[in-house]
Amino acid sequence: MMELHGLGKTFGGKAAIADLSLRVEDDEYLTLLGPSGSGKSTMLRLIAGLELPDTGRIELNGEDITTRPTHLRGLGFVQQNYALFPHMTVGDNVAFGLRNRIVDPVTDETAVARRVGEMLELVGLQGLDSRMVGQISGGQKQRVSLARTLITEPKVCLLDEPLGALDANLRERMTVELRKIRAALGVTFFHVTGNESEALAMGDRMIVLDEGRAIQIDTPDAVFHTPASVRAAKFVNAYNILDGKVEASAFVHGDQRLALPTGAGDAAHYALRIDAPEIEPAGTTTPAPGRASMMATFVASEFMGSRVVHFFKCSDGALFEVERHLSRSDPVEYRGGEQRLLSWDLDSVLLFDASGRRIAAAQTKGAA
Amino acid sequence: MVATPDIAAPSAPKQSFLNRNRHYVLLAPGVIWMVLFLIVPLAMMVYVSFWTQTTFAIKPDLTLKSWATFFGSETYFGALLRTLRIWLTVLFLTLLIGYPTALFIGQFVRNKTVQTVLLVACVIPFWTSFLIRVLAWRPMLGKEGAINIVLQKLGLIAQPIEVLLFTELSVIIGMVQIYVVFMVGPIAFMLARIDESLIEAARDLGASSWTIFRKIIFPLSLPGVVVGAIFVSVMVLGEFATASALSGRKVNLLGNIIVTQVGSLKWAFAAVVGVVLTVVMAAVITGLLRIVNLRREL
Repeated sequence: MMELHGLGKTFGGKAAIADLSLRVEDDEYLTLLGPSGSGKSTMLRLIAGLELPDTGRIELNGEDITTRPTHLRGLGFVQQNYALFPHMTVGDNVAFGLRNRIVDPVTDETAVARRVGEMLELVGLQGLDSRMVGQISGGQKQRVSLARTLITEPKVCLLDEPLGALDANLRERMTVELRKIRAALGVTFFHVTGNESEALAMGDRMIVLDEGRAIQIDTPDAVFHTPASVRAAKFVNAYNILDGKVEASAFVHGDQRLALPTGAGDAAHYALRIDAPEIEPAGTTTPAPGRASMMATFVASEFMGSRVVHFFKCSDGALFEVERHLSRSDPVEYRGGEQRLLSWDLDSVLLFDASGRRIAAAQTKGAA
Repeated sequence: MVATPDIAAPSAPKQSFLNRNRHYVLLAPGVIWMVLFLIVPLAMMVYVSFWTQTTFAIKPDLTLKSWATFFGSETYFGALLRTLRIWLTVLFLTLLIGYPTALFIGQFVRNKTVQTVLLVACVIPFWTSFLIRVLAWRPMLGKEGAINIVLQKLGLIAQPIEVLLFTELSVIIGMVQIYVVFMVGPIAFMLARIDESLIEAARDLGASSWTIFRKIIFPLSLPGVVVGAIFVSVMVLGEFATASALSGRKVNLLGNIIVTQVGSLKWAFAAVVGVVLTVVMAAVITGLLRIVNLRREL
């Protein structure tokens, strides 16, 4: 179990990480979602010991390791660019940690060979040990890098955007593989990514990082359905977020007045999952009772295979997305510039106050 | 209406000679250059080394006499051994001094601008002429030179150290100073190319700094070491100016022998020494290239 207490780090006066506290459990898959510049890499480097924090403590199983040198921490760090040793074979790369670590190196070459063989088999690279690193593909390099770290049996394995450099097909396969490998070894994975679907799909728990602060730590399911703040809602990339204010029990956005659920307080952001709205038939101007609605102008559609995303423009020019799953209905064609009424269930509305925090009461059932 | 393509037509006009042999034509300038300025002179040198030399004339009658003189004479064969000994010493010392310097510039200085400034600083002595750089060692090393004066003033020695100048030692000091920069450059270049993340990865895998140097940094800088060693070797093996200026003509290298023999018009004998020197250099370079596959590494 690893704990971070009030970790902080500034670079040139700008806080990269600010007051970050976190508990990483044993044997879990933890993902960290953050846009670029949110301090993801800094956080990993602090944990790995490649940077020293300005404030705060890092504890591993109750021991303070804040200032312990990297090579004595017993943590694994899989770098984004794989950082394989170019002058060594795959086998020597994987064996590097076993042979050369300062704590308890393995000198028996038969033991090294056996463990390298086992590890390469686990990551699906059996028989490639004598290849040079330059002779394998990007996906294989990724696995070598992972194997090289995992063979040292780290207590926590840090992965810095491990799937970032892979193509879409390979990324999907590695997603499954990574979870399988983690489960087989029972080691904690701390996976950092800027890709929301990766963070949602892979983590047992996920952390949403914004400007060096953890703005939500929860299960992916909870982060997705009830983002704690408007920034978190933005990062999961599945919400339409309208800015405005509450006036006479309606949410005013541009020249539109949107119905509010009860307990709206003084909401400043009105968020709606992109698959929640219905596109009403042409000519409809009022929604069914108990539903909120808005007039919008159709712009374009994007076909994504199993689903299609329609883009509308709100009266103030903001883009509004509506996602339709094609398994339920045939794609409908709309004309560009066409005015349509969009309507949605009030239960699906999330409200955030001016500071960005979610107004919890908005969850309660019942229409205004 | 479809136009028939006439490219593949069998009745196409015969390609011109230039077109058919385009790749040979393209190769020709390089080949001609190499033959004219490398192969022919080398062959000529080997040929001349077998000519008959009399005191005042040289005749193209083939003989082994010059070769026999070279390998039979203590003076000349000794010069070959001395050249090899000085070369090895200078190579070792330039590496010993150059590698840590390069390590500092290439690895410890992470700021690219500072790196460039330091490398330029290494080159600044080259803005003066070669002879001045060599001769500047005389007032440094001489019996009444700077080093002896300072040591005497400090009371460390009572008598001036005489072995400093006009000995093999002064030749070695001079050569090391002049050629060490050719070792620093290529090594610093290779070291600066090592990705910081490799070193971080090695550290994260539990390796100590010494292990990281031995297993990661040094092997990755080896191409630089080999290139530097080739530079230094080629220049030191053919040296004659430093040796004559700093040894008072007491230390004769192969280069010095060529200079004096050519000076006294003994072309055949100079050619023998030239062939020997060429063979030695070729062997040295081949040996150094065996250490590392430069084509793959650079």
